[in-house]
Amino acid sequence: MKKVIGLSSVALLGFLAACGDNNDDAVNDNNGAADNNGNTNEVNDVDNNDNNNDMNNDMDDDNDMNNDDNNNDMNDDDGETAEADPDYPEQPIEIIVPYSAGGGGDTVSRILSDAMSDELGEQVNVVNREGAGGEIGIAEMANAEPDGYTLGVFGYPDNFVLENTTDTDFTFDSFEYIASFDDVPHALFTSPGSGLETTEDVIEYAEENPGELTIGESGALGLLKVLAFEDEAGIDVSPVNYDGGGDLVNDLLGDHIDVASSSITAAPEITDSGGTPIGYAAAERLDMFDDYPTFEEQDLDLNMGVRRVVVAPEETPDEIIQALSNAMDQLGESEELEQAFSDAELPYEYLDYEELNDYLDEQNETLQPIIDENEDDF
Amino acid sequence: MGAFDLDILLGTLSPDVLMIVFIGVLIGIIVGAIPGLNGAIGISLLLPLTFAMDPQNGILLLGGIYMGGMYGGSITAILLNVPGDVVAAPAAMEGYPLTKQGRAKEALYYSIFSSMVGGFLGVLTLILFTPPLANLALMFGPAEMFFISLSGLVVIGAIAGNNVYKSIFAALLGLFISTIGVDMAAGAERFTFEAMTLRQGINLIPIVLGLFCFAEMFLNIGKKSNEVMTYKDQSIKRMTVIKDVIKHKFLVVKSSLIGTFIGILPGVGTTLAVFMAYGESKRTSKRRDQFEKGNTEGIMAAESANNATVGSSMVPLLALGVPGSPTTAIIAGALIIHGIVLGPSLFEQRPDVAYTFLYGMLLTVVAMGVIGAFGIKYFSYILKVRQEFIVPTVLIFALFGAYSIRNSLFDVLIAIIIGLFGVIFKKTGVPLAPVIIGVVLGPLIERNLTRAMTIAEAQNVPLIQYMLTNPLSIALLGFVILLLVIVLKMRKKDFGA
Repeated sequence: MKKVIGLSSVALLGFLAACGDNNDDAVNDNNGAADNNGNTNEVNDVDNNDNNNDMNNDMDDDNDMNNDDNNNDMNDDDGETAEADPDYPEQPIEIIVPYSAGGGGDTVSRILSDAMSDELGEQVNVVNREGAGGEIGIAEMANAEPDGYTLGVFGYPDNFVLENTTDTDFTFDSFEYIASFDDVPHALFTSPGSGLETTEDVIEYAEENPGELTIGESGALGLLKVLAFEDEAGIDVSPVNYDGGGDLVNDLLGDHIDVASSSITAAPEITDSGGTPIGYAAAERLDMFDDYPTFEEQDLDLNMGVRRVVVAPEETPDEIIQALSNAMDQLGESEELEQAFSDAELPYEYLDYEELNDYLDEQNETLQPIIDENEDDF
Repeated sequence: MGAFDLDILLGTLSPDVLMIVFIGVLIGIIVGAIPGLNGAIGISLLLPLTFAMDPQNGILLLGGIYMGGMYGGSITAILLNVPGDVVAAPAAMEGYPLTKQGRAKEALYYSIFSSMVGGFLGVLTLILFTPPLANLALMFGPAEMFFISLSGLVVIGAIAGNNVYKSIFAALLGLFISTIGVDMAAGAERFTFEAMTLRQGINLIPIVLGLFCFAEMFLNIGKKSNEVMTYKDQSIKRMTVIKDVIKHKFLVVKSSLIGTFIGILPGVGTTLAVFMAYGESKRTSKRRDQFEKGNTEGIMAAESANNATVGSSMVPLLALGVPGSPTTAIIAGALIIHGIVLGPSLFEQRPDVAYTFLYGMLLTVVAMGVIGAFGIKYFSYILKVRQEFIVPTVLIFALFGAYSIRNSLFDVLIAIIIGLFGVIFKKTGVPLAPVIIGVVLGPLIERNLTRAMTIAEAQNVPLIQYMLTNPLSIALLGFVILLLVIVLKMRKKDFGA
């Protein structure tokens, strides 16, 4: 029995140590090797690699390549003026996630923090700062020291919608948008007992019974998505607000509401229990969700989704942004990273610094009128 | 289900699975026992570790923490009167008086053995009845959730002491606290004073820590150790307690079933289950006047109910992919990152994951029993520690716990302020549990009512008609009324008014 006590105290100490390191055990575990890689361009020694899992080994190979490249001229090809800071990073990096552990945004940031730790050669820790639909964490990112050691990952357009509908401490320009790795399209699902199988059914029903169709939604974007659908289809529905995806899916599958507005990643679970995905907002069908129709196919122009973006506070030096952007480009070519995203059923699509900023400008222009027209509903 | 796979069952008994179960439960008991931490925090800390593990082992580790954490809270609740989590509050209300009488070990034995019964029945339900129970959970829409949450408020009447006004005040205070923040349905700000920190609302855990941990420790400052508790090497045999638990089999099984059924409902979950079982045990007890003075029946009821929710809260998760509580949401995250689709097809497509997890959860009950039953002797050594060391240690952990929920100093501040209020409440005899019940149920009652109103309006029917369209919601309304009558009768008998 002494052993139990001994074990417990060891576990307790280990636990406390882990807590002190910003809640991320996995990162700690992987970091031994990464530290050696980082700033010195040394070739990994064999011992370190042995301690890592397969994914890390492969990453380390990329890492060697990157460290060589970093000193070369590849930056110039990007057409950006700043040189990447060769010394960055010199200390662990913190990524703020404005959502709770276990959700989609959290999953993305944990996959990324793991890969970034290896790529940058410094520990990258995830800190969950949930609350008020993401507002708390996003505001904290905006106010963080712009030194490149506090970054953030959140789902665009959460920030844009919050900024336009509530009195926030941040604006769209509070951030440098560095890269994005996934694009999760918005989708609508009908309940098992509703008898509505297609988008056409839904629109027809709503036209015949104005205001009677109930559409459940949750999150900062939920209402906006429903309003966009109303506008595009020219119908009048009743949005029902839910606190989270769990309640929403439960009430959909139990036929308490007619339609649920969620993202296409919920499709496997919902289909499994008898719900029907009637459409999702992508230009064309994604490989991962090949079985379900897009809105585009059904002549609805609804291009909405959530893109998890990696951001830094706005006044972060260009050299650091450049260094991060280079690292992201390396990760963007990593097949392991793509695999990790598809394993977690996240539709992977890499956008680099310029592509992302073009995408965001375009999206802002699409969203602004929808928000303005429906100002009273928020 | 029905599919019974011998290979998987044998695989569950392999050394590495057993080790994972044991480690998970041990971590769970430790984080549960530390005031301010709980199973959910332990699970989110170890979540990243599971990404590198096989999915079945990963979720079994988390499942072990969940099970152990649900029990661990009772240890410090009984010994120090500081339940780290709401679910251990009744254990403190009944167990700590026993500790003061020098019967700490006895209380701890009652706690572990009833936790085992509850945990076992909960997991058994999960293994045997997942599909039908998942369908039952789906029948609970806004109207049904409204009534079941309302019944929780009625339960406050059963657990309240002789001054009903103090209990009503406490419940109303809890309901009021729950309204602070941005109302998601209308977007209106309530009592936020334009402060961003208040817009997110006040989290449950800092309130629990404030009322139960900080208040208790503040009161203990300056007291001599022997005023607060005494350590006695009580010579109680495990068998004596086991026999008594068996004697109360009806109570324990009933409480486990209450825990199991209420645990299935997403969102309502553990808090309601625990207090409902506790209130019910008080109603049926022959020693009702002993409640809050150290009644072992209260411990048995609450402890079996809280561990029963571990298994049943996974029913909607495994069967529908709907996580019913923050803890199960994190477990869902661990599965999703491995690309495992939750829902009916889980049992066909990944029987290895599903069944290893189910059988493994039974093992977590065994591991919890072994660690608990043999560890109790050592747990009670805490009572030998001098008060000067206990108070700062508990306060530090509680501060840390309050911070760690959302990594927010604001939560720490809230916990301390509520702690000061807790001191006043304890001095003036305002019961603390109703505050917590109010905070938990407030949003459930309000949100489901607004949802029901929206849907009724969309369907062009009066709210009353919508709320009472199906047999289940009518039955639940009947249940609320019946409960109210029972509670009123009970109070009349006990207090004569």
